Amino acid sequence: MSAKPQSQYCRDAQKGMGSPRLQASLHSLQNRFGKGAMTLWAEMDDQDMRRRVKQSRMKNLDHLDILLAELAKKVRARGGHVHFAENAQDAIDYTLEVARKNEVKRVVKGKSMLSMEIAIDSALQEAGMEVVETDLGEYIIQLADDKPSHIIAPCIHMDRSRIGELFTEKLGINYTDDPPSLTAAARKALREKLLSADMGLTGCNLACAATGHISLVSNEGNIRMATTMPPVHVALMGMERIVATLDEHRETVQLLTRGAALQKLSTYVSFVGGPSTSDDPDGPKEFHLVIIDNGRSKILADPEFREVLACIRCGACLNICPVYGRIGGHAYNSPYCGPIGAVITPLLDGINKHADLCKGETLCGACKDICPVQIDLPRMLAGLRQKLAYGSDRWNTKQHNPLEAYAFTLWRQVVSWSPLYRTGLKIARLCQRPFVGKNSMIKRMAGLASGWTDGRDLPPIAKKTFTEIWQKKHATAEVKLPMATKEDNNA
Amino acid sequence: MSEKTVSLFIQCLVDTMFPETGEAMITVFDRLGVAYDYPPGQTCCGQPAFNSGYSRDAAAAAKHFIDIFEDTEIIVCPSGSCVRMVRHHYPELFADDQAMHSRALAIGAKTFEFTQYLVDELGINDVGAHFPDTVTYHDSCHLSRSLGIADQPRTLLNNVRGLELIEMRDSDTCCGFGGTFSVNYPEISVAMVDEKIDNILATKASTVTGCDISCLMNILGRIKRRGEDVQVLHIAQILAADKGEKR
Amino acid sequence: MHNQTTFLSAIRTALGETPNIERSKSTFPKLFAAPDTAETLKKIRSRTVTERNELVKILLHNGNTLNISSHIVESLPEAADLVVELIRSTEPEFNYTKHVIMHDHPDIAALELWKRFNREAVTLHTTFSRDRQITDKTIASFIGITAPTIGVADSATVIQLTEPGRPRSTSLLPSLHIALLRRENIVADLAEAYALLRQKSHLDSFVFISGPSKTADIEAHMVYGAHGPRELHLIVLAEPELEK
Repeated sequence: MSAKPQSQYCRDAQKGMGSPRLQASLHSLQNRFGKGAMTLWAEMDDQDMRRRVKQSRMKNLDHLDILLAELAKKVRARGGHVHFAENAQDAIDYTLEVARKNEVKRVVKGKSMLSMEIAIDSALQEAGMEVVETDLGEYIIQLADDKPSHIIAPCIHMDRSRIGELFTEKLGINYTDDPPSLTAAARKALREKLLSADMGLTGCNLACAATGHISLVSNEGNIRMATTMPPVHVALMGMERIVATLDEHRETVQLLTRGAALQKLSTYVSFVGGPSTSDDPDGPKEFHLVIIDNGRSKILADPEFREVLACIRCGACLNICPVYGRIGGHAYNSPYCGPIGAVITPLLDGINKHADLCKGETLCGACKDICPVQIDLPRMLAGLRQKLAYGSDRWNTKQHNPLEAYAFTLWRQVVSWSPLYRTGLKIARLCQRPFVGKNSMIKRMAGLASGWTDGRDLPPIAKKTFTEIWQKKHATAEVKLPMATKEDNNA
Repeated sequence: MSEKTVSLFIQCLVDTMFPETGEAMITVFDRLGVAYDYPPGQTCCGQPAFNSGYSRDAAAAAKHFIDIFEDTEIIVCPSGSCVRMVRHHYPELFADDQAMHSRALAIGAKTFEFTQYLVDELGINDVGAHFPDTVTYHDSCHLSRSLGIADQPRTLLNNVRGLELIEMRDSDTCCGFGGTFSVNYPEISVAMVDEKIDNILATKASTVTGCDISCLMNILGRIKRRGEDVQVLHIAQILAADKGEKR
Repeated sequence: MHNQTTFLSAIRTALGETPNIERSKSTFPKLFAAPDTAETLKKIRSRTVTERNELVKILLHNGNTLNISSHIVESLPEAADLVVELIRSTEPEFNYTKHVIMHDHPDIAALELWKRFNREAVTLHTTFSRDRQITDKTIASFIGITAPTIGVADSATVIQLTEPGRPRSTSLLPSLHIALLRRENIVADLAEAYALLRQKSHLDSFVFISGPSKTADIEAHMVYGAHGPRELHLIVLAEPELEK
């Protein structure tokens, strides 16, 4: 292929496309869950539910300060601690302090993308603690020192034999590639960790302000374990993951589990409102809720992108995106992959830094169609591209490609004045001649255009454009009257 | 039948690379007795700039388009994505300019995709075409997802004499074109169109058709490179065919 | 609290509100407005036995697709027979002795399980409030028995509230979870269940359980028993004397 220097995104994308295992997994994943979700939405009795939940999500964002204050008040009333963390470091420092006070040696984690976003694992490890992921997929990823490649199915890129070898090496079991046996081995190993951990560290799927609970969904039960057995529970919550009332919770959580895995509900939905009471001997003695901003208020402030905070992180958009379906999750180089990652990662971590994520989609619109809360991701991708095109002070973004910008300035002149446009076409038609191959197609072009001809032929500019044909035929007439009379129409 | 004169909005790719698609549209209109004109001076709707983020440059193209088409009765275009650009994105481009915004809304309201115009506006399900061949249909994203046009082309195809429509798997999955995406990320784009072509080949249809020449150009370009034996035609070309001639 | 003040000010700034003026929830009555549930509650209360039996059927059917093993019994002794059979026929997963942990609940006590095992090596524990050894006993147990507050037919869910004498781990640590549910506590869907939850003046922690623990993380292969119970047995108690 071309000798152009390639970005990390392109290299990782190619790696993904070159993996038969990943391709097979992505294919069956999208076939089952992507199509399944579209069918679910189409057949749902309550066709207004998605719009309603979206509306409530947006309304709650507009009143976020009130909701968070109410949540904090209710949790504190039950004896829980609430900490508001402006950024990643603040959240890490607070959690480290809790761990130090409680002499924590072992931390068990429930799956949390936010924990990856703020990179808290390495901070805990550097402070001398053992950190164990307990979601099976995340555990496998951790053992392999790899990165997750799907929001819901983190090790979708690994096959059973690789996992078998990994377990043989790390857990000392006899080699097997049988999923039930592998799961049983992890169950045993993780039970030990879960029962002896000093601290459980989880995310928060959805908090409810009116009742003062956080809720967590899981199928495995690991999150219930991590929030029940260790004496300390620290929950990390993105500040936008909140609903006002239980009724909103009911509808939102159902869209979450349907979008994620076509389930009416996940196996477990746990509501935690504080530490265990004196009457109740199991459950954590301390509960800490860490509410995290880390760039979210900046998104909230921009009406163009506020909508992305309505996301409930179900991962449905990954299950339909034709680009994600080819390249897999690693190319996104972020805890958030797929279409949602392509919007949220640049906003949280820098638009210039993640320019490939902004530009690397076809804007086909499938993600918008499947989103349980109808988030217009393509609109926001186009918005991000605008920041790259012209630069943006608000987003501290530089013009991404001045050459491209210049080309579009020229293009603008050309398309705004048709004589120039027509002359340009004539010149291009002359220039293309040497490149037209035997099948009347252009086989090879230079520069940027080689991106097309590396893998595809290109039709040449026609000998006569439609405009030229028209001008020749209808040089005089303004309006072409129909040749047939109106009576003959129903042929 | 509408008394209105259709103003042809010929997408730049049709004008420059696939003029036969525009001619086919004319053939269909002639057969149906629809009056039409071709406003001179049209260039490009601005979509390439818009999709790449150059909204201000796209707005210049939009302004040019509005100037040219403003006095028309009905605008019909053989491309779903261009219609979507005019209808949905022109008003966005002029969100801060009340006068232009109104002009954009007015233009959008009278701009239709070719098959949509035939079926929804003129109430025509049968254009009197004859095309004795097996055909499969690709749903272009902006056409099907954004404009909701999926039944209209199928209705028209199903009423073409001799034509057998064979649905392909995942007909509404993106072909991987995506404008500058196809040039900026050719490996991903080609992987996507390869899957599309595999689905086309699996139908064993001899022709693949669609309502958007951009997607068809992408599919055609890859089919030629792979050396596959499938004909790629814009739907207008099929609807224009008669006497069983194969194009 | 300093953190909270600056944090919420930043949000107000982002929303275009005055940063330093706290917004009170009383100014936004609609924000926490919830639909009236009186009708729903009335509907739940006034269900006939026939309607309740229909809900049982739906619950069992939907539970079946989620791999819940369900049983309908007409009396507590009949339920006890089932439980005894499960205890006898199941081998412990994590150790060699048979321990069973049970919630402190009148229906479970009424099973009188201790009468059935006076000649067998089966140890029964009840999670009496303030028993400091509950965790150890639960870890040792291979079967946990609870009596959930609510059953939901549509999603095949049991709702377990954490209350004194009813800790969380009973339905979590053992290999088998047996849930004893009265027909009267079954509602049609989550809307009804949430309406009942809203009735509770004091909601501590609670959990919705819809099936045994499961994972499909390895090649999308479904395996039951990831971390929680590998089996969920739902025993619906439908006493005939309630027929009118």
